[in-house]
Amino acid sequence: MSNTDDIRWVTQVALLGDKRAFDKLTCKYQSFIRRFFLNLTMGNVPLSDDLAQETFIKAYLNISSFQGLSGFSTWLYRIAYNVYHDSVRAHKSYADLDQYQIDGQHQTQNEFSAEKMDIYKALKILRKEEQTAVLLFYMEDKTHKEIARIMNCPLGTAKTYILKGKEKLSVYLTQTGYGNK
Amino acid sequence: METNNDKMLKTFFAENKKEISDFGFSHRVMRKLPEQTDRSWIVWIFTSMGIVLTLLLGFQTGIISHIFRLLQIIPQIFILIGVLGFSIVAGIAVLFGQRKNFRIV
Repeated sequence: MSNTDDIRWVTQVALLGDKRAFDKLTCKYQSFIRRFFLNLTMGNVPLSDDLAQETFIKAYLNISSFQGLSGFSTWLYRIAYNVYHDSVRAHKSYADLDQYQIDGQHQTQNEFSAEKMDIYKALKILRKEEQTAVLLFYMEDKTHKEIARIMNCPLGTAKTYILKGKEKLSVYLTQTGYGNK
Repeated sequence: METNNDKMLKTFFAENKKEISDFGFSHRVMRKLPEQTDRSWIVWIFTSMGIVLTLLLGFQTGIISHIFRLLQIIPQIFILIGVLGFSIVAGIAVLFGQRKNFRIV
């Protein structure tokens, strides 16, 4: 399904309030948005699903503000990024909790936990901005320009986040022997 | 230029890239969406305006009467073939369009 379909569905939702058209958009993008949140929350399935749900509801309510300057996907990731950062700010008081204890609890509920231990461990060594930029670049196949738009920062800053994240991850993966596999 | 580190990271992320099945997620989202007023009347208003405008301009410029004159001249069998041919082609196009958008939930 192409971007033309996206524009058609967005127009139907914005002009006619057509929920079926929005359902098609949700079905098309749910996997990407949920995966993005799942990686940002280090495998916390309930939290990532809640954040994804909030993202789609916000997208539905503000769909008339979508101007089509970037793709619908980029616009959706931008909302997702804002939702995630609002959530992080709101729950900063929990930051002192033992992170490993929380991760351990979630990993037992997570269907991908065993396979994804490596990626979560690797992502943990990065700063939040670096995590987001690296995930968008390597996992979600976004360009530098799109990442800058999603993270609402200058292009140079987005490139720096990716570069720093890449350096840290390369060192980490080499040290853990991943490169030798 | 792609370095070894680039290749390693691409492989690492590709190995961890998973498609997440819907498992009722879209339905949960749809249930949570706030109710909005039905705005399908916009389509009817613009359609009616379009028809009225076409008829008005058609009669004013004489295009419609010209078409009627042409229809009387052209053999009826050609008109019939044209209408049937168009319906068949349009039907096939719609069928293929639906097939393309078909999805299993």
